[in-house]
Amino acid sequence: MPTNLLLSISVKYWQDFQDTLAKVMDANIYIFDINGGSFSQFSRPVELCQEVNKGGKICNEKCIRFYKSALRSLEDKGILTCPYGIRLYAYRLGTYAQNIGFLVITSTRIRTQVSGEEENTFVTKAHSIYQTINEVLKAILEKNLLGLRRLELNSIYEISRLLTSTVELDKVLDLITNSLIIIYKAELGFVGLREGDKIRIAQAKGEYGHLLIGREWPMVQPLIEQVFSKVEPSSLSIEELMTLPGLTGLGVAPGNEIMIYPLWTALGAVGLLGIVFPVSLDDNGSRNLQIYANFAAVALANAKLIYRLEREAETDFMTGFFNKRALRNMLVQELERVTRYGTPLSVIFLDIDDFKTYNDTFGHLAGDIVLQKTAEIIKNSIRLVDIAGRYGGEEFVIILPGTKKEGAVAVAERIRKSIEIYPFPHRQVTVSLGVAWAKRNDSVDSLLARADQACYQAKRQGKNRFCLDPS
Amino acid sequence: MGELIEKQIERYETLLREMWTASAKYLGTFSANLLVERVVWEVSQEYREMELLQYNEEGISCAGISASLKKNPDLPANDMFAKFILRYLEILARLLGHEKTEKIAKKLDEEFPGFLLTARGNERWIN
Repeated sequence: MPTNLLLSISVKYWQDFQDTLAKVMDANIYIFDINGGSFSQFSRPVELCQEVNKGGKICNEKCIRFYKSALRSLEDKGILTCPYGIRLYAYRLGTYAQNIGFLVITSTRIRTQVSGEEENTFVTKAHSIYQTINEVLKAILEKNLLGLRRLELNSIYEISRLLTSTVELDKVLDLITNSLIIIYKAELGFVGLREGDKIRIAQAKGEYGHLLIGREWPMVQPLIEQVFSKVEPSSLSIEELMTLPGLTGLGVAPGNEIMIYPLWTALGAVGLLGIVFPVSLDDNGSRNLQIYANFAAVALANAKLIYRLEREAETDFMTGFFNKRALRNMLVQELERVTRYGTPLSVIFLDIDDFKTYNDTFGHLAGDIVLQKTAEIIKNSIRLVDIAGRYGGEEFVIILPGTKKEGAVAVAERIRKSIEIYPFPHRQVTVSLGVAWAKRNDSVDSLLARADQACYQAKRQGKNRFCLDPS
Repeated sequence: MGELIEKQIERYETLLREMWTASAKYLGTFSANLLVERVVWEVSQEYREMELLQYNEEGISCAGISASLKKNPDLPANDMFAKFILRYLEILARLLGHEKTEKIAKKLDEEFPGFLLTARGNERWIN
């Protein structure tokens, strides 16, 4: 697997090129990677070497250790002598900023005694070979870099377009993390959203992504505070990252870079963007990633705002329940399911008895407490799949998907009883309930009207009871 | 010979389409295409012909590669496609997790038994 995406070369094609060059220059050429491990094979046979290494590939332990140690300490170029006495001309490949490997050149005729003139001629030859190979590799590196930049910019363009037009929070989160993993071949990419005084990891992709999703850290946690103390990204060590609670088991391969970008907009901190990747970015790469983080911040801020507005538009402020509009929308969907799959559906209409009198006698604040407590009791009396909402004033509607008449009756009675015995302030509070169940071709209005009628009947019969749909 | 190549490319096209469709189902078409673009760039460093792979919101087509192979039948198409698929799956595993990727890889392995394994042999890199 490549550990550097900037330069990748097929060993087969490289060997062909290297062998041709070696033949023309009548020298032996050998390429090593940055760790001193062999990349290509010797181009021309060297008797001694072949004997020791049983072929064109280094396998002798002594040789392996020698190259690893000698090349790692090589600064620019140098003349080395291998454990078996072969004189080697070694060069560091790449640029000053980036080492991409090492080149070793030897004469095809191994001799122990070499004249000064022969030595000078070979050094000149070796230097020409080095220049040729280095230029070729640098050209490949440049081409690869340009390709990566083009890929980054194309992606950023497409993502910026999508991010600013996509308003669904989940989709935006997916888009951001997917793109990080794809473009930078990241091991891990994650997005944390600011929720008041804490950061919650809302999406994470990569091998250890599951360990991060849902984790929450207060904004005052030292590392989080450090990240948000500046506009620029923070480069972290694995030890620093692990100071965040709950990350036991997280593994990061050595040499990987961990970057955390605080996501800022004009409104303040929206969240953070984390990336763990095997590449060290140059200035252009860092700038591109910063542009990407800026777009991500705007997109997340938009999506969060719209998500909040949508939630607010369907929530009853007093009780936290769904409001009338949201209830009706959900009932439409449930009725579609009834028509399509023939599953049962029941609805309960609930009205607090004599609520106006309670309000007028004890004040609106006391009335609000009754509404809130009633909502809480309803919530505690139904399943997670059931839907409850405040329909208006002191009226509540409970939608019970997959529930037949008998089940709905049990729920209605449970709610009635719980409210009857609850010690509300000032006096006892009771409710009247109407239970109806969906028929084929029912509309939202017809179903709710029957449940309302049943509730009205319960009121007429003396309140604090439930009645069934009479039709 | 020409017919043989055409048939072979057709099979790869089917394979890539299946892979693209399966990943687009989980990732969405934008991310699936970004992934294709990334892997095309990577593999094209070794095989320029990879740039001829056509892809858009509708899916993947190998028509360009097929035409190029007719002119250059010596191109090691098997190695090129194998590398493409291996690298695609490698990134896909990070996006979807190993379980879902394994399912996709298993399906590919049923279509082309053993070829994913043999593809690994030739790959080495300079850092």
